[in-house]
Amino acid sequence: MAAARRLKRVAASQPGFLTLKSNSTDLLSGRRKRVNKNKKKSWNKHSDINDVEEFLNDIRHQERTTGGLLAEKSDDSLFFLDVGQPLNDAQRDKPVEEEPVERKKRKGRVSRPLRIDLILQQDSLIPPPKDVLAYQQPNAKKLRRSAQRLEQLAAKGVVPRKQRQLLNRRPVERTTLKAVTEANNNPNRDYYDIWGQELKDLADPWYLQQTCKKRVQRPERLNEKPSTLPAVEVIAPGGSYNPEFFSHQALLKAAHEVEVVKQKEEDKIKRQLAVNKEDTATMETIFHEELEGLVEEEKEEEEELKDEEDVAVGAIVLAQKKTEKQRKKERALKIKEQRRMANRRMNNRQQQLFQLRSIKASIKQQDQKTKVNQIRRKAKQEAEKSQPRRLGKLKFQPQDMEVQLSGELAESLRQLKPEGSILKDRFKSLQKRNLIEPRERAKFKRRHKLKYVEKRAFKEIT
Amino acid sequence: MGGLQKKKFESGAATNYITRNRARKKLQLSLPDFRRLCILKGIYPHEPKHKKKVNKGSTAPRTFYLLKDIRFLLHEPIVGKFREYKIFVRKLKKAYGKTEWSAVERLKENKPTYKLDHIVKERYPSFIDALRDIDDALCMCFLFSTFARTGKCHVQTIQLCRRLTVEWMNYVITSRALRKVFISIKGIYYQAEVMGQPITWLVPYQFAHDHPTDVDYRVMATFTELYTTLLGFVNFRLYLSLNLLYPPKIHDTDIFLVPVQKLSALSASLARVVTSTEEEEAQIDLFPTEDENMEMMEEKEKEKKLLEAQMKIFEGLKFFLNREVPRESLAFIIRCFGGEVSWDKSVSIGSTYEMMDETITHHIVDRPNVDKRYINRYYIQPQWVYDCVNAKMLVPVEDYFIGVTLPPHLSPFVEEREGDYVPPEKLKILALQRGESSGVDSLEEEEEEEEEEDEEEEDNDEEDQVEENKLKKMEEQRSQGKSLQVKVTPGKVKMENPVRLEQEEKAEEKRLAIMMMKKKEKYLYDKIMFGKKRKVREVSFLKSRNKYSLLWERLCSRRS
Repeated sequence: MAAARRLKRVAASQPGFLTLKSNSTDLLSGRRKRVNKNKKKSWNKHSDINDVEEFLNDIRHQERTTGGLLAEKSDDSLFFLDVGQPLNDAQRDKPVEEEPVERKKRKGRVSRPLRIDLILQQDSLIPPPKDVLAYQQPNAKKLRRSAQRLEQLAAKGVVPRKQRQLLNRRPVERTTLKAVTEANNNPNRDYYDIWGQELKDLADPWYLQQTCKKRVQRPERLNEKPSTLPAVEVIAPGGSYNPEFFSHQALLKAAHEVEVVKQKEEDKIKRQLAVNKEDTATMETIFHEELEGLVEEEKEEEEELKDEEDVAVGAIVLAQKKTEKQRKKERALKIKEQRRMANRRMNNRQQQLFQLRSIKASIKQQDQKTKVNQIRRKAKQEAEKSQPRRLGKLKFQPQDMEVQLSGELAESLRQLKPEGSILKDRFKSLQKRNLIEPRERAKFKRRHKLKYVEKRAFKEIT
Repeated sequence: MGGLQKKKFESGAATNYITRNRARKKLQLSLPDFRRLCILKGIYPHEPKHKKKVNKGSTAPRTFYLLKDIRFLLHEPIVGKFREYKIFVRKLKKAYGKTEWSAVERLKENKPTYKLDHIVKERYPSFIDALRDIDDALCMCFLFSTFARTGKCHVQTIQLCRRLTVEWMNYVITSRALRKVFISIKGIYYQAEVMGQPITWLVPYQFAHDHPTDVDYRVMATFTELYTTLLGFVNFRLYLSLNLLYPPKIHDTDIFLVPVQKLSALSASLARVVTSTEEEEAQIDLFPTEDENMEMMEEKEKEKKLLEAQMKIFEGLKFFLNREVPRESLAFIIRCFGGEVSWDKSVSIGSTYEMMDETITHHIVDRPNVDKRYINRYYIQPQWVYDCVNAKMLVPVEDYFIGVTLPPHLSPFVEEREGDYVPPEKLKILALQRGESSGVDSLEEEEEEEEEEDEEEEDNDEEDQVEENKLKKMEEQRSQGKSLQVKVTPGKVKMENPVRLEQEEKAEEKRLAIMMMKKKEKYLYDKIMFGKKRKVREVSFLKSRNKYSLLWERLCSRRS
């Protein structure tokens, strides 16, 4: 309570502080309460020491920042005379020093400290406070004693046990784990006999299965190859670097066939797009088309209209209600029809007995047909196994045949120019054998359309 | 009818398949990651039989996977690694963006990686399965090892591929497994027989080529990742089977780690595991099994011996390669068949002897002329080596001298059937293989013989020729004024050739059978025979054109 009251007092004594109780009239009127300044209690509250405080603060500030009272500083340290650019060398040689510290100027070296460093130097008279805790060490004496003892023992040659053990221990060989050595394509990687040792299962198979640690077996279906084609297809004998004449001709012929097929397709498209020159519209035909139906005679028009009406009338026939007679007749007819059909069916069945031979013959024929179809289907299936399947959006595009024309054949192995790229050949072979799906390079698609904006400079011109 | 109605596309084919995007979402992976996973695990898209059913009525082209396959993929542990990698990339980007370099270092040190060993073991449970699929792996590794190290794909991958291919070539040399070689305009095809499996691979030429842009490099890189792992394991197993040290070391050297360049010289033999005294292998007496009899056993032995002889055709020969010939290919082949080879020091390391060596027997040159010629060696063009390999014997050297027009390089991968056109060069080689002298006369004789053997029905042309010859003779005699000698002379005993008699009997029987055929069957038989005759006619036509036009054509093509 006393503390609170003291706080209030101190706060109240601050200049400009308005208490709740006091109102403006009180302060402005000039009427003051009479206070006894002789008591210590009222000194704190009612004495005004601000001017003294200000003065002292100012002095302290000066001491802290500029290192001493400004009044006590010499003129040289505060001001310098600006005489402008020195006119000749002789004048430059005069020592024009601003800083109190003089340094020898060396050729090419900046020996003078920077002005900013000097400004930021600590030159206050007040030294920084000493950190007492840093000097306090509770067992300084003990430590000093033990250090002395160790020195004496080391001088004698006795080594303490802990250090002896440390020295005896071998340095740990730290194998720095580098990701390179463990990677799959490390050139110096080790191989071992993967098919040799049949590792026995260390644990019980039942245990492994129950705890889901057993490796899942690979299904048998995956061991079959997706295509019966061999991995490496050797090129025809005409593809030798020094081919025999007829085999080379055979290879050229095969390549020629491919080209012919391509040419035929192109021709077909051209033919389909061909337009008869006479069918193009000329000014005359356009004119005629526009005038059609406008310059006809009226008689012809009337006749045409009449014909249409007659046809229209003939189509609308209203249905009339059926009478009883008609219904009975219809029913009788229906029954008769049914009976006739039944008779006929029975007759047919009876007669089939005599048609056994021809029936047998027709059954045989059907059997043969189905057999032939089966064989054909099986052959087709076998053939399909060696063909590239359609596995995705794109169809398999076989690569161009590697053929060198007669004029390109090399004269010697040294002058041989290799044809085709084996990389592409391997890639296509993988696609052909259904190991990967044919793909094309992914195009760069823009998500948002590009905006083209003219620069302002250009806008003025155009 | 209400209640449990069967709705469309809810059972059957429609539920067995799943589209690619759905599968990707099920696995919670991005599209490149999904593709990579499918390639690594060997899951391929399927084309369903009835697209409309599976696609729920629409015919839009979509990629379908079997649902069971995708469910199997869910159990794969490397799926988790892919996700970790995605997060690693995200964190790294953030650290870069905030320029927190210590975080970047820390993240890079702990980069998540995955191994494919378990996938290889799962996909190829036995060694023979892996050998069957090694064709593709070899082609891919050879292809990648020829890439330029620009950084488009990881340089480490290229180095690894180079190392694996060099190891493979060294194995083939040591086991003498090479059988066929073919130089084509695409690259060089090799075929080797490893543990009974024929393995074909294609090696591109070493010249730099610009890469096509429409090839997906990521897909190829993923395949290569799997294939390098596979090839490494296969190499290890093969080296183990031959008792060689793996990683391979060169015989009689103390170098622990042999650099790839030294191995790629292909000129030194590899070190074996057991270097102590070799024990003589006791000849195991082979008893015939129940199915075979002694004859077949002997035949097999003969074949084996023939094969062994064929594997050593270059034994004892010393070769020197000039600077302009493809060194690696030739060195590989020559060493595969037992020969010694060396080259100029400036070409590559590992050359064993110099050009001045007197004991060199064959010097392989590809230039129009050579400055200095030594007496006791043959200067031949490189095609000789390849042709020798394909013919399985040493082909006469005369056709391959410098400046001589080379005979065409035939493909050993072509198997001619009866009645097909056989190029005369091949016939010559067959003759050489059979041990007959190579002359033009014998060639003609052989042609005739082969014709007779191939076709039972004789050529009309041949008969005509014989008749023409007879007529010519008679005309000559008449023109010379001699009268035809037609008089009764004592008969000569005709020696009946039993073989010929048999053949005639068979022909008679055949003729009778043909006469007794029904109309329908005869019609079919006529059709077949017509087709065969057409072939024969074509073959003979080509052969008749052969001698003159072939030469002319070849001259033209060579000169141009």
